[in-house]
Amino acid sequence: MFARSAAALAVALSFSISPAGAHEGHDHGAAPPAASVAAAPAGARAEVVGTAFELVAVAEGASLTLYLDAFATNEPLGGADITVETPTGPVKATEDGDRYRLDAPFLAEPGRFDLIATVAVGSELEILPLTLVTTSAAAPARAAGATASAWLASWWPSLPGWALWSVILLAGVGAGLLIGIAAGRRGGRAAALLLALPLAVAWSERAEAHTGHDHGDGKTAAIPVAGERAQRLADGTLHVPKAVQRIFGVRTVLTSQATFHRTMELPGRVIPDPNASGVVQASVGGRLSAPPGGFPRLGAAVTKGDVLAYVAPPIQQIDVSDMRQRQGELDQQISIVETRLARYARLVSSGAVARQMYEETQLELQGLKDRRTALDFSRRQPEALVAPVDGIVADASPVAGQMAQPNAVIFHIVDPTRLWVEALSFAAITPVSASATTAAGLNIKLAFRGSGFADRSQSIPSHFAIEGDTNGLRAGQFVTVQVATDERRDGVAVPRSAVARTANGQDFVFEHTAPERFVPRPVRVEPLDGGRVLIVSGAGAGQRIVTQGADLLDHVR
Amino acid sequence: MTRRRIILGAAALATVVPWTLGTAVPPARAHDAKGPNGGQLTDAGKYHVELVGKGTRLEVFVSDAKDAPLPATGFKALAILVIEGKPQRIPLQPEGTDRLTGTAPAPLPSPPKGVIQLTAPDGTVAQARFN
Repeated sequence: MFARSAAALAVALSFSISPAGAHEGHDHGAAPPAASVAAAPAGARAEVVGTAFELVAVAEGASLTLYLDAFATNEPLGGADITVETPTGPVKATEDGDRYRLDAPFLAEPGRFDLIATVAVGSELEILPLTLVTTSAAAPARAAGATASAWLASWWPSLPGWALWSVILLAGVGAGLLIGIAAGRRGGRAAALLLALPLAVAWSERAEAHTGHDHGDGKTAAIPVAGERAQRLADGTLHVPKAVQRIFGVRTVLTSQATFHRTMELPGRVIPDPNASGVVQASVGGRLSAPPGGFPRLGAAVTKGDVLAYVAPPIQQIDVSDMRQRQGELDQQISIVETRLARYARLVSSGAVARQMYEETQLELQGLKDRRTALDFSRRQPEALVAPVDGIVADASPVAGQMAQPNAVIFHIVDPTRLWVEALSFAAITPVSASATTAAGLNIKLAFRGSGFADRSQSIPSHFAIEGDTNGLRAGQFVTVQVATDERRDGVAVPRSAVARTANGQDFVFEHTAPERFVPRPVRVEPLDGGRVLIVSGAGAGQRIVTQGADLLDHVR
Repeated sequence: MTRRRIILGAAALATVVPWTLGTAVPPARAHDAKGPNGGQLTDAGKYHVELVGKGTRLEVFVSDAKDAPLPATGFKALAILVIEGKPQRIPLQPEGTDRLTGTAPAPLPSPPKGVIQLTAPDGTVAQARFN
């Protein structure tokens, strides 16, 4: 029974300690994520956030490196005028590439340095305080002390006077127990009060010292920084030094809530503009032969009317025999008519033959000769295949001597600057605007041209014309079409590159919470257009979301 | 039985007393509140600093964490403030017993923006940011 009671007491005590840890009020230390790192002597850093800028100071030997970035975009700011109030007076920083340097001989001695930076960029002027704490290289770092005593010390609250109150508390418990035992049943209530008194006193003092706010001097979670290296901290947030952010090219955007058209994603395919493409077909079957310049190769530019190939219809054996027979007949008739004409020519002058008969014979001979010529010609003349439109040869497979079937497509001519997209939709759409994305991430603006009315494999084909540059696109290429509909959605629009995906398929974005701190935020996204997605849950307005370099941050371990 | 009651009673009290004490205290004031002298009040290390601008005259009052005024004797301060779009460095000296004062080259804007660096009699330095 005693054991049970003691357990209850232990539980109650542990319970009563908890409100002290969760003290309300505010914290006087640096902002919670402030990297007041004092582990590495060379890596002492301080950071401050103004309204338009972020300033990070890193102690490097006897000089101070300052990183100045725009608050909203995280873009390094050049051409700034930075003057730092040091213990030895005001010193002006010099620009060195994308950072600023300052001679700081005072950093040779370890200690705490309160600096005031006056930053002027263009018309913006801000005065920002910086507190830099450096330790000497010889002093053993507290983080390194992995001994049992250090472990115990880390458990013991570091409040001044805590040890004293613990003694009073324990003494009170002990006294209460003793008196309770001595007084027996009747003295129980009095003993309980006696016991409670020191407890209450101890706690009231402690509460007084602790409620309100804590005047700790920046003893926030120390970050074991090993030089300028990005790392993922135990709580999942990322500590990325400014130097690394510069390499990653991290850029952010200050989000704002807005209303957007709801977007549908449709599978699509690039097709040639029906009015700017064509096929070259042989109307008769025959043998292909090249025009004087040879067959146009793939990708060659052709203009409307260019002869691309000839097709010579083959002549069957029976046709050849027929033609020979016909030739013979014609030749025979020609010689008969020629003889007759010569005779009439002699007689017409004497009047023995009417002039009319002579002329008719002349015409008959002419007609026979024409027929004979046509018969010869038709055997040699092939059909010319001409380009129906201007464009380039998109598809061609002619080989000289090849036999082409009637209606076979010999050439496919496409104007590469005029392409359309055919998308399949499961519902009738009336798009407000449309865009498309290729697998490579190319973003294309589209203009709606119309939807089919007949079902094609349970979906409706819709046509869109590609507006603007079609460079890098080809007919038949698969694209994802984003169609904005009349329906409205509220959310935060961010570029597609802002959303990273974890191995488990969860989408998240990185929020820039402090100059060198990034917090991954799980989000729910919906498609918005080719370049942007809509965060409908997980991030709100007024947050700085990483838009560039999110994938690199994702790989920080 | 008695012992059990005693211990349980103590446990109950130990749980309840700090709880009530903890919640009875009103939440601490927010930063940048109005000070007792009509200026902006903000935190500087373990002190609270109130900045009052009267024309070109700058007055700084120092109080402790419980807003109890502290004598200005022994304190030193440096104010860097944005005045008429330019940064101005104004050293402050104790005047009388309760305040540090300095003179700005031009009338102070209201509210003043900038940083005050406070050096305590024990040599520790604290900074207060006004914005």
